Amino acid sequence: MNLRYLWATLAGRPARSLAAVFSVALGVALFVSLQAYASGYRQAARAPLVEVGADLTAQRQGTVPDKFEGMVFPHSVAPIHRAEIQQIGQVLGVRKVAETLFFWDFQPQGFVAGLGLDPADTFGPGRLRAALTAGRFLQPGEAHTAVVDTTYAQQQGLTVGGGVSLDGQPFTIVGLVDTTRAGQLANANLYIPLADARALAVAAPQVRSVFAIQPDDANLLFIKSDQARADLIAANIKQILGDKAIVSSGSSFAAELGGLFALIDRFGLIVGVLAFLFAAALLLRVVAGTLWERRREVAVMRAVGWRQREIAVQLWSETLVLALAGGLVGLALAALAAWLMTLTKVTVPVPWELSPSPHFLPGGANMVAVVVSLPAHLTPALAAWALGLAVVGATLVGLWLPGRIARVKPAEVLRGE
Amino acid sequence: MVSDLVASTEVHELSYKLAAGQESSLLQGIALRKSFGGVEAVREASLTVMPGQFVAVMGRSGSGKTTLLHLLAGLERPTAGQILFRGREIGGLDEDGLALWRRDNVGMVFQAFHLVPTLSALENVAFPLYPLKMTAAERRKRAAANLALVGLSDRAGHRPSRLSGGEQQRVAIARALVNKPTLVLGDEPTGNLDSATGDEIMVLFTRLRSETGVALLMVTHDDKVAAAADRVLHMIDGRLSNGNEA
Repeated sequence: MNLRYLWATLAGRPARSLAAVFSVALGVALFVSLQAYASGYRQAARAPLVEVGADLTAQRQGTVPDKFEGMVFPHSVAPIHRAEIQQIGQVLGVRKVAETLFFWDFQPQGFVAGLGLDPADTFGPGRLRAALTAGRFLQPGEAHTAVVDTTYAQQQGLTVGGGVSLDGQPFTIVGLVDTTRAGQLANANLYIPLADARALAVAAPQVRSVFAIQPDDANLLFIKSDQARADLIAANIKQILGDKAIVSSGSSFAAELGGLFALIDRFGLIVGVLAFLFAAALLLRVVAGTLWERRREVAVMRAVGWRQREIAVQLWSETLVLALAGGLVGLALAALAAWLMTLTKVTVPVPWELSPSPHFLPGGANMVAVVVSLPAHLTPALAAWALGLAVVGATLVGLWLPGRIARVKPAEVLRGE
Repeated sequence: MVSDLVASTEVHELSYKLAAGQESSLLQGIALRKSFGGVEAVREASLTVMPGQFVAVMGRSGSGKTTLLHLLAGLERPTAGQILFRGREIGGLDEDGLALWRRDNVGMVFQAFHLVPTLSALENVAFPLYPLKMTAAERRKRAAANLALVGLSDRAGHRPSRLSGGEQQRVAIARALVNKPTLVLGDEPTGNLDSATGDEIMVLFTRLRSETGVALLMVTHDDKVAAAADRVLHMIDGRLSNGNEA
């Protein structure tokens, strides 16, 4: 292969070369943009989970309390027993399980949403540690302490060092947290040690009346897992928890997005591949046209002593360079498109069963949602795929067409001149 | 009449070989035939080119002389007959073998020049060297030397579109010589040139032949080309006959 000849050929036929480059660029840009869009939406759908550092949440629907008095469990979070938690922990791909106990406490003076958590956990509600605005976070082993959401604290006039009552039990406020910075999933007004929450639940009449609550139960699990197996793990957990299991994953949130995303998620790859094939067909057409114009040149190559393989390699190199240039231009266009996509906002609705407020209270039925910029990015893997496909396309076109042209009978072409 | 001519050609070829004494032929075509469908373009044509000799094949358009040239260049396979180069049959070579044979031994000059439009004059001269393993500097040096040989050093950077017809043919001649061939085959090399330029080209061929010792075989209908040749063969309806020996 001679680089000087290659360059002279491509630069000497700018219209043809540009047509080939933009054919490939169009296909690559469309393919990459669609994949980046779909991938961005899938990432956006995981935003509620990412906010709490988990890959899945698991809970189970239960029974509506007889009365909304004192401590109750929302009917979307029935107790999950120890044996079930252990089984979930043993599912292939599950790395860690953070146990929590979500509850409502109805007092004559008002309603409070609470969450019992293990202060040692680093994900799930454990992430609240990073959202501390005053005081300190809960510490392992301590009891009857609480951290309070800053908005709730302002509404109720609560401060660090003050006290708060839950189902008649006193709790000392040790810190304030900005819950909105720590995610929308099962956030609460007040956070207490898991052991305290369990003790309250076991003693609560409105919990005991509808559930066979055990002292080591939880009712909302945050799970870290192998992301690639998340859907399979979710299916396994549903088997363990039974028909009423609610397992939230990236896929389940994605399902909430619906519409255009579902369409692109389902058909994006097919459309992308079709775009690629279309680009390959355009490239084939342009290259075929160019080579047809140059058949006399090819005949002269043969006449002056070029072997067929040498001609084919030279012509294939031209196609390859055009495809690579088209691939790079396509990636640049796709990067621009991806950047434009990041300017759009995606609203990921949080299902009612993960919403902290009772829907029957004022404002409780308002949709809770996580709003994020569409994280559409060109990953190195996607770029490599696109360039790889461009090279494969060019190779197929290049092996077929220049191979045929290289076998041209020079006498036939030269005789016709 | 025609059969007489053919017989006469064969006698002439034989006598030429005898006259050349022990000197072996460079290129021999023996009883070459070429048919396209049912049409015979070349019929029982035999000829010999000795090293350093200038042979012209004259004939009208359609007489089969270009087909004969293509057969002798290995660009076309004969329907029957043999082609020997330095006594060795080249008909058994495959396409790549023939290409390599041309690369090592044959230069070609065409009526329409057939320069690569996107390459400069110097690059066109270097064109046959591109597949060879040599440095760019070496390739450039050889091409420049051959361009100088045809008096076009000052046009090295020009593309064919900026060269006159005569200059383009000079570049094509330099390209034909760049591989240091022992034989140059010309297909109407003055056919696209005006009379004066055609004369210049023939002067150039004559000079190059004396300087390099290259043999020339040209098909033409130009009397001036024939006048410069050592031997002139005539082609009529695919048959080759002898003409005047210069």
